[in-house]
Amino acid sequence: MSRLHPVTALTKTLGYAVQWASVPFFLVSILSGAFDVVRIDWVFSLAPVGFLLGAAYGLVEYYRFEYELSEDTFDLASGVFSRRDREIPFRRVQNVDVSRGIVQRLLGLAVVSIETAGGGDTEATLRYVGEGEANWLQREIRRLTAENDEIEADEQEGLEPDPTERPEPATAGTSGDRRPTHLFELDQVELGLLSLTTAKLSASMVVAVVTAFGGDAALGLVLSLARPFGGPAQLAGASPLEYAALALSSALYGAVATYLVGVVYTFVGYYGFRIGEAGDDLVYERGLLQRYSGSIPTEKIQTLSIVENPLQRAIGYAGLRIETAGYGPDGGGNQSAIPLAKRSRVERFVARATGIESGDFDRPPTVARRRYLVRYSVIAAAIVAAAGAAGIVWGLPYWYASALAVLGAPVGAHLRWTNLGYDLREDHLLVREGFWRRRTHVVPYYRLQTVSTRRSVFQRRLGLASLVIDTASSRTFVRGTPTIHDLSLSTARSIHADCRERLEDARRTRAREERALSVAFT
Amino acid sequence: MESLHSRVRAVWIVRAVVVACVLAVAVAAAERWLVDTLPAAALVAVGLVAAGVGIGHALVLYSRWGFELQDDALYLERGVVTFVETSVPFVRVQHVDTEFGPVERALGLSSVVVYTAGSRNADVTIPGLRPERARRLQDTLRDLAVESEGEDAV
Repeated sequence: MSRLHPVTALTKTLGYAVQWASVPFFLVSILSGAFDVVRIDWVFSLAPVGFLLGAAYGLVEYYRFEYELSEDTFDLASGVFSRRDREIPFRRVQNVDVSRGIVQRLLGLAVVSIETAGGGDTEATLRYVGEGEANWLQREIRRLTAENDEIEADEQEGLEPDPTERPEPATAGTSGDRRPTHLFELDQVELGLLSLTTAKLSASMVVAVVTAFGGDAALGLVLSLARPFGGPAQLAGASPLEYAALALSSALYGAVATYLVGVVYTFVGYYGFRIGEAGDDLVYERGLLQRYSGSIPTEKIQTLSIVENPLQRAIGYAGLRIETAGYGPDGGGNQSAIPLAKRSRVERFVARATGIESGDFDRPPTVARRRYLVRYSVIAAAIVAAAGAAGIVWGLPYWYASALAVLGAPVGAHLRWTNLGYDLREDHLLVREGFWRRRTHVVPYYRLQTVSTRRSVFQRRLGLASLVIDTASSRTFVRGTPTIHDLSLSTARSIHADCRERLEDARRTRAREERALSVAFT
Repeated sequence: MESLHSRVRAVWIVRAVVVACVLAVAVAAAERWLVDTLPAAALVAVGLVAAGVGIGHALVLYSRWGFELQDDALYLERGVVTFVETSVPFVRVQHVDTEFGPVERALGLSSVVVYTAGSRNADVTIPGLRPERARRLQDTLRDLAVESEGEDAV
């Protein structure tokens, strides 16, 4: 059994010491205010006791945390008072990630996370191990995973013992003759374009929180920024027109700030991105301040998705994401294989991985477009009604300008419809959808879990149906299950049946190949 | 196509009535807090309408529910507002549970839950089966899943 890096003993000891010392500090502070029996000077005796106990706990926890690579499982034993022994079969490992923060990089440390398909959590986190140890673990687990995978029994390279020696903790990162074959590296231009064309909605949270905690300074800034637009001098007692100007300018500046935060976030996160192939795995690394690296066994890949927004489409660029069934710190089993590159290059990558050159997409019937027109018109009408109500009740000026929203409905309906598409290929199903964030999923029939044909009341009236293709990709709320929207019912039914048949075929072919292999080996 | 046991309607109706009662009480509480002018009859009406919708939903749902063991997959169809037809290939069945809640138990019914590794329809429930039918279905599904086992895709 091995232990974590000795520095961990120090961080754990200090961490728990401070934590345990602060508990009596706060308890005594609060209780002394409420009860006369409790005196505030107890802090001086209780806090050091808590500090010592915490330090002892941290140290013991360090010594009680052990891990080991056995022949076919990764074993983890941890816990001071309640012990936990965990064995993770290598066959079930989805990905192994290594991340390094700034301080950790200075100290030569890393965090290793091991993911399997089940559970809502990372199955094993080693915080911290030496950098050399982390790389060795990542490589070794990958090798053992491949070895334990029966399907991969034919991959002879995967079976030979790892030529790299386990490094001494001191000599970090010296070994590495199993260099991955280079597949893609994000160059400066691509990184710039990626940062500039990516809108991160989550960045708006950062802006909101900063504004909320900025207090008077933030309020003053917001007010002074709104002045040129006719905003109020003070928050209280302004006219409706001034409030409207304030709201509008705040929204505008908020959007700009969100965009800028997103640009910085993307730049820092994807700086120095590169991905390569090592044995049967894809290995990648990225990050300016915090460095991430991870491995994805190719055998575990569920779907590939080409992702592009209108800006990126306009300049002919696209990104490629890989979905596995794992969970991880970064949106889990959804990893960027190519953050952004020329579309043709992304297509070549897909072609290499799946043999699909380019999609020849069929669109849903035009009735679907009519349906979206109705849907968007209803939304537009609601917006106009809300604006009208605001105009009458609060005297919102120019509320009738919201009637422009009605013009958006047909445009939106057409764009939604025109970006929909599906293509049934030999071994893969291609599903395309979305205008703002167009996703083209490449789903191998072999990865299908369930197939559903869904028809809402409205769809039934128009004779339409949506086909939901479920795979074992990660359960995230943001990224929906690949769905072919609004097919005619008969087409949906026939694709539904087709998918089932092709899953069965793919399975049989695989089983036959496997049998042939095992015969060849015996 | 096999339909559910007719007593499942009672389970759903009981559920709908409970929900309607909770809704009526919630509306009554909100009304007390905010306006406090509506007559009690209006609140009873809210409860009755909710119960009526729920009961109607239960009856239609029963008439639409069906499942079938086909040669490669478990096939189900159900739904009132959105009608859904789902195929769960036997190879994809991870495990199968039988379970029953208090109302189901009182009415002598049981449910079968089929789990897959998928993300959206990861668990498929067939409610309203006699316990022996549920047990038999569970066994059949397990056998079919084992029989058709290839290399699992996760």
